[in-house]
Amino acid sequence: MKQLLRSKEAGILLIIVLLSLLITLKNPVFLTSSNLLDILKNNTVPGIVAMGMLLVIITGGIDVSVGAMTAAVTVIIGKYMVHAGGNLLTVFLLGCGSGAILGAINGFFVAKLDIPPIVVTLGTMSIINGGMLYYTGGSWITNIPKWFIDFGRIKLLGIPVQILFLVGAAVLTHWVLRYTLIGRGVFAVGGNPIAAVRAGFHKDKILLFLYSYLGFMVGLAAVVHTSIMRQVDPNAFFSFEMTVIAAVVLGGANVLGGEGSVFGTILGVMMLAVIQNGLILAWIPTYWQQIVVGAIILLAVSLDVMQNRRRQDQLTRIDVAGEAPFGG
Amino acid sequence: MKKSLRVILLAALVCSLFFVTAQAKEYTILVMPKLVGIPYFNASETGALQAGKDLGVNVIYAGPTQADAAAQVKMIEDYISRGVDAIAVAPNDPAALTPVLRRAKQRGILVMDWDTPADKSVVELSVHQIDDKVYGEHNWDLLVEAMGTDEGEYAIITGGLAAANLNTWIDHGLAYAKEKYPNLKLVTERIPSDEKQQEAYRKTLDLLRAYPNLKGIIGISTPAPIGAAQAVEERGLQDKVAVVGTALPNDSAPYLKSGALKVSTLWDPAKLGYLTVALAVKRLNGEEVYDGMEISNVGVIDVWDDGITVIMGPPTDFTADNVDQFDF
Amino acid sequence: MENNKKEYMLCGVLAIIVIIMSILSPDRFLSLYNLQTMAFQLPEFGIIALGMMIVILTGGINLSITSGSALAGIMAAFILSGRVMVGASIGMSIALAIGVILVTSVLLGLLNGFVVAYIGVTPILVTLGSKTLYEGISMWLTKGGAISNFPEAYYWFGNESIIGIPVPMIIFIIIALITYVLLEKTPWGTRVYMVGSNPTAAVFSGINIKRVLMQVYVYSALMAGLAGVIMLSRYNSAKVDLGSSYLLQSVAAVVLGGTNIAGGSGKVFGTVIAVAILQVISSGLNILGVNRFIIDMITGAILIAVLTLNIISNRRESRRKSDETVLVAENRG
Repeated sequence: MKQLLRSKEAGILLIIVLLSLLITLKNPVFLTSSNLLDILKNNTVPGIVAMGMLLVIITGGIDVSVGAMTAAVTVIIGKYMVHAGGNLLTVFLLGCGSGAILGAINGFFVAKLDIPPIVVTLGTMSIINGGMLYYTGGSWITNIPKWFIDFGRIKLLGIPVQILFLVGAAVLTHWVLRYTLIGRGVFAVGGNPIAAVRAGFHKDKILLFLYSYLGFMVGLAAVVHTSIMRQVDPNAFFSFEMTVIAAVVLGGANVLGGEGSVFGTILGVMMLAVIQNGLILAWIPTYWQQIVVGAIILLAVSLDVMQNRRRQDQLTRIDVAGEAPFGG
Repeated sequence: MKKSLRVILLAALVCSLFFVTAQAKEYTILVMPKLVGIPYFNASETGALQAGKDLGVNVIYAGPTQADAAAQVKMIEDYISRGVDAIAVAPNDPAALTPVLRRAKQRGILVMDWDTPADKSVVELSVHQIDDKVYGEHNWDLLVEAMGTDEGEYAIITGGLAAANLNTWIDHGLAYAKEKYPNLKLVTERIPSDEKQQEAYRKTLDLLRAYPNLKGIIGISTPAPIGAAQAVEERGLQDKVAVVGTALPNDSAPYLKSGALKVSTLWDPAKLGYLTVALAVKRLNGEEVYDGMEISNVGVIDVWDDGITVIMGPPTDFTADNVDQFDF
Repeated sequence: MENNKKEYMLCGVLAIIVIIMSILSPDRFLSLYNLQTMAFQLPEFGIIALGMMIVILTGGINLSITSGSALAGIMAAFILSGRVMVGASIGMSIALAIGVILVTSVLLGLLNGFVVAYIGVTPILVTLGSKTLYEGISMWLTKGGAISNFPEAYYWFGNESIIGIPVPMIIFIIIALITYVLLEKTPWGTRVYMVGSNPTAAVFSGINIKRVLMQVYVYSALMAGLAGVIMLSRYNSAKVDLGSSYLLQSVAAVVLGGTNIAGGSGKVFGTVIAVAILQVISSGLNILGVNRFIIDMITGAILIAVLTLNIISNRRESRRKSDETVLVAENRG
């Protein structure tokens, strides 16, 4: 417990608790189980993608094409279900498979050609988005088969099935990160790429795997999204990447690489979710909402950093210079 | 390196040659939507291109990929360089287009607007799908009809707070409701949904919690009523909360049939595209456009006293009974 | 000489694209009208790209740049449209409007700079937060509507020419020159590069990193404001999403121009050429009537292609160099 309080996640947890308290004081409906389940269910999609994004960010990379990829996969599985039928298994295979392939393309350019990830993914974002919208014209895909819609309505012990996928993605990612060789490689590459290579990690292979893994998560998220929304809108993921990146970084991952945890990322997703949910529940007037969101984000991250710094100052007063904050 | 550069550029050359559109017909008419890649403007493209085929003119349907005024101005400038006989534009920001449309006019190009009015002093024809005031009021009438009473709480979900035409309809509707339905109580200002179904869905869930006495929701912008209906259906409130609004029949069909969406209302965007091109051709041929004129494939149009504003006709209401007769 | 290789290659790419466009539509692409149109279109984007570049040089990123433009522009629009300061003369209100734009952008830059430099939050988070905040303020001020109807005299900044050269182009050239001198010819510029390439070393060589970062974010915001001056005039109105499509484009232009996304290296000239490349592709393909989504795809492909070429040529370079060292070593042996 003490360790938890001292960890980087403690600060953001504290902020979430504070925000929840404020919202509950204004409107107790916030703290009902059905509202909390709704919050979880409606943030499974950014949550699942954030799991993949976390690994990429720990290596010091970034992927701004996740919005375009998610949209592309929803279109692929949507078209498939409407025209070919298929079943639950093939939909998941197709979704995760096509996602992983798209991710692997990013991974190839990043790992093999050594092009900065933001450049690669900015490029693939335009290409995937352009191609997909040229092909669909933005038209919604309706008439998703009933068996798939029924699947989306499944509840286990009152918990919507979508939440289980988020839990699954989180557990898997935590396992990869903490208990596998790849996971150690992820931190090594993010912390010090040259040393990582010297230590015998195959940087290329790790990066290729991670971007494919992110693609896989994107595919999973696309299937989950379609199971909630029951139609496919090719424009639904415009600027989605910003939400995902914000959640991961809010959750304590360092954009320069080397730092980050699954628990923190979940907290990051939840913090954004609670803010959004609280806007309407706490009766905040429409034209104030964005100001409130922006101010909370700025205050929260500042508080978080200041608190971390105080903690570190107490622990050690040696490395003053290395503490200076830079990041991209 | 030079060789690979040459190969890439050659490929680019071939690609661009491939996509160059044919140009031999008599008139070239540019029809520019607010943005491309959304179902509504995709449908009007079909109509505009059909009219081009029927009337023997070359129609270019092109617009920016984001609803950004700056991007739209640049595209118009480029198409003026290209050389067109007529420009019909649906402005993202009417005032922003005034300078460039004035320049187009000076170069002898016929300037019109469609879908959303531009600055009246620069256009020779302004093609409206509908009278904004009538349409705004129509939505409130539908709400009262669907609620079965003219008293009670209701909320508005809009596409975006900065969307001029949506704001116009809402403002007209609110003014009308104040007079005609004084017992209708708007619970909070219009809620933005980012033109996304999932946002409208999420915010409706929050609204239903924050305002438990809610009796009605008006969705303005095509994804909004769908998302709202989905939330209402999920909470099993279709008999308590009436959802109405502006949506395409194909997208709203499942929710109309389940009863979660009581009625949706829109015009046929393809018809609007067709009418725009047909009127442009008439003007280019030096013909008059007058009140009560019959346009083939569209119907009888209204022309206002200013001689500029053309109204296509009343909207169509889609209900569970008639929705299958439409396909757009 | 070798330091400028990236820039030479970019110039080559630009030249080839111009040639392709000229062959595909000689009468239209090369028309005086189109050349002038492009010269009117490029500056606002170019200035934003320079503002983005200077932040990226320090290893940061400024995602609030276009929201800052819009907010500063909206503040000025209230004055220009006569909604506040009713009764001021036209000259007065224009001068005042530009003053307001500059002051507002300095304030917005100070906020970003303060949180990045003195509190120490990651730039991407800070500017994502301030982007939301600035958009929120703009929304609150305008209720989503456009503020328009400016005095005719204000058209000058965005729509007039001096001896055939568009006014915005002149403004852009001056700004690019100033940025070039500041970054590449003054000690301050050296400090900016150093903060980006090796912050620890920068601290030990006595550089006040915090102050430099603060100045960089203010400079970036000023660029956003100046782009706002031009956009306000060209589009005759201000709205919450003014110029929003430039945000990711400007990041693309900066990296296309050879700036290292991790900071520390990059040239003003490279960014300017990259902006010109994106402009020519966009206008050229529009003139050819290419579908906008295909244009996006081509732009994305060119971005990746140019960077791939850069990297391949760099690798060959370093391999050649290492071969030489081996050779030298062998000769010695």
